[in-house]
Amino acid sequence: MTDRRFRGRTYETGPFEVTEESIRAYMRATGDEREEPDLVAPPTYAMVYGFDAYWQLWTDPEVALDTAHLVHGEQRFTFHRPVRPGDQLRTTGRIADISARASMEFVDFDLSSTDVQGHLVSEATALFVIRSPQ
Amino acid sequence: MMTGRATRFEEVQVGESLPPLHKTVSVEQIRRYAQASGDHNPIHLDQAFARSAGLPGVIAHGMLTMAFVNQMVTDWLGDRRTVRSLRGRFAGMVLPGDRVTCRGSVKAKDQSAGRLTLELSAENQRGEAVFTKGIADVEFHRAE
Repeated sequence: MTDRRFRGRTYETGPFEVTEESIRAYMRATGDEREEPDLVAPPTYAMVYGFDAYWQLWTDPEVALDTAHLVHGEQRFTFHRPVRPGDQLRTTGRIADISARASMEFVDFDLSSTDVQGHLVSEATALFVIRSPQ
Repeated sequence: MMTGRATRFEEVQVGESLPPLHKTVSVEQIRRYAQASGDHNPIHLDQAFARSAGLPGVIAHGMLTMAFVNQMVTDWLGDRRTVRSLRGRFAGMVLPGDRVTCRGSVKAKDQSAGRLTLELSAENQRGEAVFTKGIADVEFHRAE
């Protein structure tokens, strides 16, 4: 059982430099390769530039989430502007809630990503579900 | 229900469907997605580990399914810049070999704001839901 005292804990990523190569690798991997005049990242690329915040949560030795039994339950994004090569984005993740119901545990994780000017680029909420191994 | 081929906001009708998007997921695609996203969780990559975690085998990242749903939306819009929000629930596992069909329809239209609310979902080849309660808010001004 994850300790509820970790509610409110935050994780900061270093600057993620968005490159054309990284956007194109994501487009190839997902099969979303339609060309547009203006190369912008597919909106769900937010998972890529924010990924280190998720990784820090999943590998935090104190919180010690049971990641072998963790599944992604829900995801929400709000996009404030398109992301392009050259963007440098920092993401802050925050454990918004930890709760339990029946044999399931739920972790709500809020994220916000900003550019070098400090302007919000996107926000997200992920809900993770941990199924009890019994 | 007619499938949306509207080219102007004025032509979009509430209730019309987006052209569905079909994707067959392979082990190779899951590996490529892990590489591109940085998410190397072994439940997506290591059969023995996935089975020991109580899964039938490796499963696709939920965010790969959401990327498919997102692509259906941006293919219809003809623009990756005008999705304002996207959400949904990962209702079922996607395994290698599964054929995922993404579906969407126009739920609401805000004339003055030039915005649409879309309802989105995805299912596997057996018709079982893998993505539910999907909602996107988008601006529609399709490029000619």
